[in-house]
Amino acid sequence: MADIIQDPAHSGHGDRLFLPSFCAVRMVFAVVLVAQILSFILVLAPLQTGGERWRDLGVVSLFVQWVALSSAAVLCLVRPLLSRFSNVAAALISYLLLLLVTAVLSELAHYILYRDPTLAPPTGDHFSFLARNMGLSALISVVVLRYFYMQHQWAEQVRAESQARIQALQARIRPHFLFNSLNTIASLTATNPVQAEDAVEDLADLFRITMRDSGGRISLAREIEIAKRYLHIESLRLGDRLQIEWNLDAIPDVAVPALILQPLLENAVYHGVEPMPMGGRIRVCIAQRGKRLQMQVENPVPANRSSSHHRGNRVAHENIHERLRLAFGRAARLEIDDRGTTYCVSVHLPVEQSP
Amino acid sequence: MKVLIVDDEHLARNRLRRLVDGIGGYYVCGEAATGRSAIEQVDRLQPDVLLMDIRMPDMDGLEAARHLGTLDCPPAVIFTTAYADHALSAFETQAVDYLLKPIRQARLAAALAQSRRLTRAQVEAFDVGKQPLIRTHICVRERGNLQLVPVAEVRFFRAEHKYVTVHAAEGREVLIEESLKSLEEEFGDRFVRIHRSILVGQAFIAGLEKSPDARWQVRLSGIDETLEISRRHLAEVRHRIKRSTR
Repeated sequence: MADIIQDPAHSGHGDRLFLPSFCAVRMVFAVVLVAQILSFILVLAPLQTGGERWRDLGVVSLFVQWVALSSAAVLCLVRPLLSRFSNVAAALISYLLLLLVTAVLSELAHYILYRDPTLAPPTGDHFSFLARNMGLSALISVVVLRYFYMQHQWAEQVRAESQARIQALQARIRPHFLFNSLNTIASLTATNPVQAEDAVEDLADLFRITMRDSGGRISLAREIEIAKRYLHIESLRLGDRLQIEWNLDAIPDVAVPALILQPLLENAVYHGVEPMPMGGRIRVCIAQRGKRLQMQVENPVPANRSSSHHRGNRVAHENIHERLRLAFGRAARLEIDDRGTTYCVSVHLPVEQSP
Repeated sequence: MKVLIVDDEHLARNRLRRLVDGIGGYYVCGEAATGRSAIEQVDRLQPDVLLMDIRMPDMDGLEAARHLGTLDCPPAVIFTTAYADHALSAFETQAVDYLLKPIRQARLAAALAQSRRLTRAQVEAFDVGKQPLIRTHICVRERGNLQLVPVAEVRFFRAEHKYVTVHAAEGREVLIEESLKSLEEEFGDRFVRIHRSILVGQAFIAGLEKSPDARWQVRLSGIDETLEISRRHLAEVRHRIKRSTR
């Protein structure tokens, strides 16, 4: 049954219907498996002993598989229609459909079995055969639909939680940066109003993207622009101490989670450039290799770095790592290469086409 | 009253200078961009008050204040910071004031007015109230002046009688009144004890060698003298070297 559990991070957004898609191959396989288990139960359940069980198993399996696969096919076909209704209405409709499928197939089976003398007639008359099948179907359908509903609720909850986590993680621009920037602007308003105005605009852009819907994707070009605005504010503050080297030939037209590059740069500035009296150079390399995008930020390491610095750096990286994990699962990686005098962080992402 | 402005950001210094100029009775006698330069300026300019940023390269504001606290007549210190984090909460109740950037002129004026009443005892109180801090510089008082030796440049410390000799870059030697034990506690991740009376800067260890009389010695880069390793410290020295080269 584990096959049916969908990864919440990848399930379709806005898909409110509790029923999974029965058209998928994995789902069909799960249906066959469950139907077979049910057949075993039905054959083993009767208390009286008899040598006929193995022969019964064949017939029962055939019938149960028949009903299960037909039901799956029907649900697969009507799913687009069901998604227009509320979950309660959809549950009711699918329940009735399941009963209908059982009824039709029971009639068909009854007709075939009675006509073919090589297959033993089922015990009881036509009516009790139909009633028994309908009763079983009614009970099993309730259990199955209930299961899917619970499954759906659980997935929704996980998705909501991860959404909340992304939101909490994303809203972390260092307060130091905000207040230092405001101080820079306060200083510039008296001496250089034009630069002050630029800085306010940059800051506004940066915070707009921070406060936006979380977990969203933006084009890489936009992400780089945001990063440059951030660096512009920092360069006002740090002057010549901050040097940036961009290594990007052509910006690939791909989408990335918003604010992946900027925190890497913020870290590099905070831990690599600010503690150096003469400043330092940050190197940024962005390149697409086949189906993967690599973003690399390298900063110098101050000679007398303290352990608390180190810890702060790690916290920021864990934050980015967590966001990558929520966005891409295991397909994204974050690598840290501490070479003693330089510190290099690389992010590897699967490429997505720009929206 | 003379005010010294200490901040690594040019624009932050500009703004503070403008604010101080707008308050009567104070004038800015100088500026410094690091804690280390602040100490040198204090020596030269004898300011009454320091407006000092906390996060600065080379030496941060907290350490600079701690060194200044050892002067006979320390200037008052008002910290300026962009964000009040845990480092400040430790002395929120102390006499030393701090201002949050961007600073309001009225708040600055009030802090400066109060700073007149600061005494040495209060600066010392702040020194005691602080969390243990690993210094980046060793501070030595010579003829009333503060001399600074970067810890990263110290080759080794040698205990002699009641003093410890600091052997720094270019054969410079200074005496300090601290115990080797407290130095080892503070700088333990950078210095390794090789003998009852010697702490060696791990970064300067060039190699271990055996003397003709079968004793182990440490050779330091740039120093001709070799230092003897006592037998009880040999295993630890070897372990530390192995760990650092891995």
